[in-house]
Amino acid sequence: MTDPTASPPPPEVMIRLEGLVKRYPGQSTDAVSKLSMDIRRGEFVVFVGPSGCGKTTTLRMINRLVEPTSGRIWIDGEDVTDVDPDRLRRRIGYVIQQIGLIPHMTIAQNIGLVPKLLGWDKARIRDRVDELLELVGLDPAAFRDRYPKQLSGGQQQRVGVARALAGDPPVMLMDEPFGAIDPITRDRLQEEFLKLQERIRKTIVFVTHDIDEALKLGDRIAIFGEGSRLEQFATPLEILSEPANDYVRSFVGAGTGIRRLGLLRIADIPGGAPEPAGRGAVRLTEDQTVHAALEEMLQAGADEVVVASADGRGERSLTMRDLLLAAARAKGEAR
Amino acid sequence: MSAADAVTVEAGAPARGWVLPLIAAALVAGMLGYLQTAELDSIEARLLATDEILARTVEHVRLVAVSTIAVIAIAVPLGVLLTRRRARLLAPPVLGLANAGQAIPSIGVLVLLAILFDVGFTMAVIALVAYAVLPVLRNTMVGLRQVDRSVIDAGRGMGMSPLQVLMKIELPLAVPVMIAGIRVALILNVGVATLATYTNAGGLGSLIESGIVFNRMPVLMTGSVLTIALALMVDWLAGLAERFLRPRGL
Amino acid sequence: MSFVEYVDRNFDRIAFLTVQHVQVVLLSVAIAAVIGVGLGIATERTPRLRRVLLGITGTLLTIPSFALFGLLIPLLGLGLAPTVAALTVYAVFPILRNTVTGLQIVDPAVVDASRGMGLGAGQRLWMVRLPLAWPVILNGIRVATIMVVAIAAIGAAVRGPGLGELIFRGLSRIGGANAFNEAMSGVAGVVLVALVLDLVFVLIGRLTTPRGLHD
Repeated sequence: MTDPTASPPPPEVMIRLEGLVKRYPGQSTDAVSKLSMDIRRGEFVVFVGPSGCGKTTTLRMINRLVEPTSGRIWIDGEDVTDVDPDRLRRRIGYVIQQIGLIPHMTIAQNIGLVPKLLGWDKARIRDRVDELLELVGLDPAAFRDRYPKQLSGGQQQRVGVARALAGDPPVMLMDEPFGAIDPITRDRLQEEFLKLQERIRKTIVFVTHDIDEALKLGDRIAIFGEGSRLEQFATPLEILSEPANDYVRSFVGAGTGIRRLGLLRIADIPGGAPEPAGRGAVRLTEDQTVHAALEEMLQAGADEVVVASADGRGERSLTMRDLLLAAARAKGEAR
Repeated sequence: MSAADAVTVEAGAPARGWVLPLIAAALVAGMLGYLQTAELDSIEARLLATDEILARTVEHVRLVAVSTIAVIAIAVPLGVLLTRRRARLLAPPVLGLANAGQAIPSIGVLVLLAILFDVGFTMAVIALVAYAVLPVLRNTMVGLRQVDRSVIDAGRGMGMSPLQVLMKIELPLAVPVMIAGIRVALILNVGVATLATYTNAGGLGSLIESGIVFNRMPVLMTGSVLTIALALMVDWLAGLAERFLRPRGL
Repeated sequence: MSFVEYVDRNFDRIAFLTVQHVQVVLLSVAIAAVIGVGLGIATERTPRLRRVLLGITGTLLTIPSFALFGLLIPLLGLGLAPTVAALTVYAVFPILRNTVTGLQIVDPAVVDASRGMGLGAGQRLWMVRLPLAWPVILNGIRVATIMVVAIAAIGAAVRGPGLGELIFRGLSRIGGANAFNEAMSGVAGVVLVALVLDLVFVLIGRLTTPRGLHD
């Protein structure tokens, strides 16, 4: 399996999958066949596709919960195809849909488990647990000593995320982490998680079957087809504007133009008048989406929006026409 | 509580094919072969004469058969009565008593009855019945209670009388659980019947007892091995009956 | 002599036999627990062997205890040894079965998450799976204990220790003045031991069930 002539990927690549194959015994087709991809350091990559397309199998091969039949996995410049899987997994965060908190351990013990396995001392573990609880928006004093059963599903998954971050792993693997959570809580957790990722900048591989979740979260999206074919691996905007083939087009579904508006920030739109002109203009900030801007304008019956820069000092005004034209031109631009 | 509880679950396990009767046959054949060749002294020869062994076996089977039929005749109607609506309040105390009663050792029931009343076949059957009624009663009640309410309501809705609902719907659906209980009772009866020798009711246990009393290992072994063979056969036959009497579709 | 009078006069002997009875039961169950839990864990990767073991130990339960005691005499003689051996044989099945069930019903998501966090097979067993299976295993040990308390009374037929001795003494004096009292004290003693041990197990269950598993 190991090819001694292979050289490690360049440093900006955090995860490299090289000709990865998984064939289960007694089956005639590969669950995953000859998959190769590079995932960059700090990148948020989403695997999306129908069930049985091999996305979860691929994810589980990265921390070797599923052993590849052939091929090679590099993580952070190291060939991990043959290293001790338990040690490997302690360096990789892992979050699953069913959460899987250990029911007889307190929240603190759940989060502190990997640090304990890594041999941290007690004081350091305690500090880390509190830091992580804060990070995921749970009050340490209130939650530290509770048991998983005493938490709601959303709270449990926050703990699941905190637990995966405990050993400060450079890589996080997430298998439909928000799939079993009610839609309202899911939306909030997605938003929070995006903000969290801006701070921690982990390399994340995230599996979902929900294309909208993928478009919302991913820096890049890998769309899997039948037989684990990688149909397209690109930014959300590229996938909406230039779907690689009919499969991607139908998988993404209708209304790509409108949905693209939800991915564009106002800051991405150039131009605009330096000061407000018309009356009854809507006021927004640069980090909001074009979709939100148009929604506000339609609601208010305004054809102009006043945008405050992120630092709150400068202002500019954009018309509905500016927004629409810019959005139409924004094909292929990365988020 | 007794072996019955542990066996209850086991009784539902998949049938073990021909393994049990083969083991039983091998045990009996081995034993008979040994007795043909062994040199027996006068006591052994007397206790292990073919007629003697046959007589003990027949006694044993009779004890088991009579008491099991009696158990079914008592426990099934009682279970039906206790699950009727009017007897609802009676059911929990009866079941509680039944469960607590299983803490009484079987040899204790036999001996107390013998001391208080008499020794012999009838008393032994009474002891066996008292001991084995519990699993059948409990399983009859559990089996009847787990019948889906909506199926009963549907029956009533079609105009069936309570008796028709019982005979056509409730009992057939409860049969698998009831048979599992009867199987446990059978196994218990085979076991307790080995102790009936102590109250002069004979059975294969008397070979074991004589073997201990006279310190004759061939007699002891013959009694033990035949008892085990009988127990395996009965368990196997009960397992078969369980499979064939199960209503189709369940 | 009334039953109460009898018990009062013979209290020391009855108490002695009761303690003996408890000791024999606990010794047998302890051995069976080591065997049952051990086999349950050891056969995790060999499900066929596990099914065979469950079948054999389950079938052993259908063997009448008197016959098993008898069978063990040529091997182990009379007294303590055949009694403990036979009781152990009976106690293995409920413990093995509950160990198997307890380990099987542990939430697979919890096991997957533990694996994903880098817990090795041994760590998963000791830190996660056994604690979660413990209430079920303990219940198996409880069922085995209560069952064996009653069977131990038959051990007196092979000169085994415990309260069975009183029952058989009463039997041997049928017609005598104290026959009923002797047998009854033995039976009552066995029932009492069963009830007390049952309560003890409820208590152990309360104390040893991990807190996060309580509702």
